[in-house]
Amino acid sequence: MRRYREFLIPVVVFGLAGFLPLFLKTYYVHIGILILIWAYLATSWNILGGYAGQHSLGHGLYMGIGAYASTYLALNFGLTPWVGMFVGMAFAAAAGWFVGYATFRYGLKGAYFALVTIALAEAAVYVVSNWKAMGGAAGLEVKYLGTNPFMMQFDGKLPYFYIILVMTLLAVLTAQWLNRRRFGYRLIAVRENEEAAEAMGVNTLGTKINANVLSAVMTAAGGTFFAQYFTYVGPRVVFGEMVSVQILLFAIIGGLGTVWGPLVGAVILVPVAEIARAELGTQFQGAHLLLYGGVLVFTMLFMPKGIVGLVKSVRSRIWKTPDDSVSAPAPEGGAS
Amino acid sequence: MTPLLEVKNLTRVFGGLTAVGDLTFHVDSGEIVGLIGPNGAGKTTCFNLLAGALRPTSGSVFFKGKDVTGRKSHQMCKLGLTRTFQVVQPFPDITALENVMIGAFVRHGSTGAAEAKAREVLDVVGIGHKADVLGRDLTLMELKRLEIGKGLATEPDLLLLDEVAAGLTPVEIDDILALVRRLNSEGMTFLVVEHVMKVIMNLSHRIVVLNFGSQIAEGTPAEISKNPAVLDAYLGEEEYVA
Ligand SMILES: Nc1ncnc2c1ncn2[C@@H]1O[C@H](COP(=O)(O)OP(=O)(O)O)[C@@H](O)[C@H]1O
Ligand SMILES: [Mg+2]
Repeated sequence: MRRYREFLIPVVVFGLAGFLPLFLKTYYVHIGILILIWAYLATSWNILGGYAGQHSLGHGLYMGIGAYASTYLALNFGLTPWVGMFVGMAFAAAAGWFVGYATFRYGLKGAYFALVTIALAEAAVYVVSNWKAMGGAAGLEVKYLGTNPFMMQFDGKLPYFYIILVMTLLAVLTAQWLNRRRFGYRLIAVRENEEAAEAMGVNTLGTKINANVLSAVMTAAGGTFFAQYFTYVGPRVVFGEMVSVQILLFAIIGGLGTVWGPLVGAVILVPVAEIARAELGTQFQGAHLLLYGGVLVFTMLFMPKGIVGLVKSVRSRIWKTPDDSVSAPAPEGGAS
Repeated sequence: MTPLLEVKNLTRVFGGLTAVGDLTFHVDSGEIVGLIGPNGAGKTTCFNLLAGALRPTSGSVFFKGKDVTGRKSHQMCKLGLTRTFQVVQPFPDITALENVMIGAFVRHGSTGAAEAKAREVLDVVGIGHKADVLGRDLTLMELKRLEIGKGLATEPDLLLLDEVAAGLTPVEIDDILALVRRLNSEGMTFLVVEHVMKVIMNLSHRIVVLNFGSQIAEGTPAEISKNPAVLDAYLGEEEYVA
């Protein structure tokens, strides 16, 4: 039992969150779903971007693959998105491997890696926009069936809330699991000092590619959920730069390379952005984007380790505890 | 008996500059071999070639009787050859213990076993009490010890030490020398690059002298200190007077 204690806190937190919709109006459940979608995607991105330190700016690519794969297969072959999701994940694994190999094999790092990933996601927007079977620029619409659990469709919001709640829990558990496993330590070694990692027996190329594949696969599952919830996929909507940028925004603001950072970032920012959009949206389009930009700049300047990093350093200053990731598997772990 | 490490005609050219040229030497199991030479002689480049951080332009490297020329760093480490860096390379944002655990994971798959190994290594290099301190918060002396610890944690058969004494006080140097001798008496083989002549003369069983990338002498410390070619190479660099 002791081995699994590290997973207890996420399970309890998410379990309690599961009661929230019972007290909330539909609109707030919708906000909850948005929070969880972005928390899920940012947690997936964080494995590559936060743990391994490779800042992909093109995760829309994998989100799009997941969204399009399940939607296309459901429309044309009646395949349930529950299976389509895994098909999308398989395609995303291949794409993630290819992107990882093509970039890391040639030593692309930092801004160069980021630029290439932007370019690849943009290329995907272009390809899909011109691909008739995929609906071209108009995209694909998920056929409305009313409540049909087999096809991952529901009239109300509650089922969607619980699906994405479980998905996000699984993503957080994955991050928690990495925190105390060899692969997770190797990701951090790669981020901290590649040359030293390589000299200490870490296959840095393989580690980075694996991180990209894992991150891509998780992101693709989020794409399928996104398509089912909004019942629509369009090239720019799922592959576009807005998706790619928002994904990493929440992780950076919440705390790169921490288990809870992406979730915390989404919990704080998504509602604020939604309010800005609802209140100012008509006179001032893109108000939420301005907000994101401002908060991002503030974070990078004043709390480079995000909210979770800030809380951790304040806490350790007050209690003078040594980094708890070492002495005990604490919930936030030793990623930063 | 085949030597643990055999270097044959090893050459590395950077543009027009031959950093290591036609270098041939060997290291037997259980030895401490010193690699010396003036600044820019090619010592670090030699380490990079042996550890797989650089590919040789020509020549070959045999380790445990196997041709390992052109293998990557992480492969060499797994085979049992680990190097430390002249300029210490800690992982700054994780603790000393976690720094060393990265190395321990080479031979231990489980986190518990890697952590136990890492604690043992931290004690061996004398910074067990710093286990929970972040890499960025360690002093130079501690970082030098951490650097050796990171190498030791990979449980190498041959450890390459690049200028571990540089920047340390005489007392600290004596500490590190005692550590290397003890590990050697327990069976670990060392190839040591060192700038400080006193250190290398004290420590090595055998010395290989480089100048301009080529070997100019080889022998016991006593032989080397009398070798005219060596004295000539070091002429004018008073700090080297043994
Ligand atoms: N990556 C490199 N590119 C070009 N020249 C290099 C490189 N690494 C080392 N050199 C050159 O090779 C020579 C040997 O350097 P090095 O091996 O660092 O010497 P040492 O460690 O003996 O002081 C020097 O002239 C150095 O400038
Ligand atoms: Mg050097």
